[in-house]
Amino acid sequence: MSNPKSLGNRVGSLECDNTTLHLLKANDFVAKAIRERLKDVCVINVCSSPGSGKTTLMQETGKRLASKLNMAVLVGDPETERDAIRMREAGVNALQIVTGGMCHIEAQMILQALDHINLEGVDVLFIENVGNLLCPSAFDLGEDYRVTLLATTEGDDKPKKYPRMFLTSELMLVSKSDLLPYVPFSVDAVTQDAREVNPNIEVQTISTLNGEGIDVWCEWIEEKVKLKKEKAALAE
Amino acid sequence: MHELSIVKDIFSTLEEHYQTKINDIQKVQITAGLLSNVQPILIQNAFDAFIHDNEVYNDMDLEVVVNDIIAHCDNCDKDFKVEFHRFVCSCGTPSTNIVQGNELFISKVIFKQS
Repeated sequence: MSNPKSLGNRVGSLECDNTTLHLLKANDFVAKAIRERLKDVCVINVCSSPGSGKTTLMQETGKRLASKLNMAVLVGDPETERDAIRMREAGVNALQIVTGGMCHIEAQMILQALDHINLEGVDVLFIENVGNLLCPSAFDLGEDYRVTLLATTEGDDKPKKYPRMFLTSELMLVSKSDLLPYVPFSVDAVTQDAREVNPNIEVQTISTLNGEGIDVWCEWIEEKVKLKKEKAALAE
Repeated sequence: MHELSIVKDIFSTLEEHYQTKINDIQKVQITAGLLSNVQPILIQNAFDAFIHDNEVYNDMDLEVVVNDIIAHCDNCDKDFKVEFHRFVCSCGTPSTNIVQGNELFISKVIFKQS
């Protein structure tokens, strides 16, 4: 294929500017604005592949924490309001962000959504990201913590395939642990793989079906909410 | 994926920085770390599609430079190259201190001869 933009016919000296103009910086700017605004709300960005159980986990977490914490969820999907409807049916304060085909949520979408969800008295705000282990990893949404779910059906070789996601996560939740007896998945192997990418990552196994690990997960959230409130109180 | 957002961001950044001089740009070079999830061929395609639809930029070229992932080992107090996504130094110490590899920026702009 011939290239019409060929440089071949150009002659003479060229002016060259060596520079450093960062791209996608607009997102980081908006993420900072979100942090400023949500000083005493703990924000947790929940990422994973499609179908690893993010929405079910949000429903279950809502039920378990209902008596202890006030939680809200912003849920992103390329299309449909299905997930927000599912969560509201389970009694969770949820708002859908329809990304219109986009593969990730950008900070701007969160900032706009904050005007449409009731955050009065909310302790913890979950952002359920679009199911995708790749693109969402590059977009800071103003969160305090990033949690990545990895279902036992997905295989224990994922952390190194999607290193940036696991590198930027504080916690990896191995979900659908009730299926462990039936699938070739090793929690030890996935933990080792994840820690070679990110030695500081915490690992928990969880099943919304038989309840394994839900208490540990809920305690983790309560601790993070407490930390955020202490930090906010100190800043005042 | 989000290649087109990046390409749009390249042009809005150039417009903001160089203003009308943007029309004299012959070639733009971007530097992308391996962790930025940027695929050179996909960015190139998105770039070509964008300039095809925006006549004033028809003659502009893009070059994508890919940076290796470099991390710092606190134990050896030196940098090491991360290969096969193993963020572990040859001495066995893991590291999350990424020195290079996350970046995504415009690194060079070459103007047409006036």
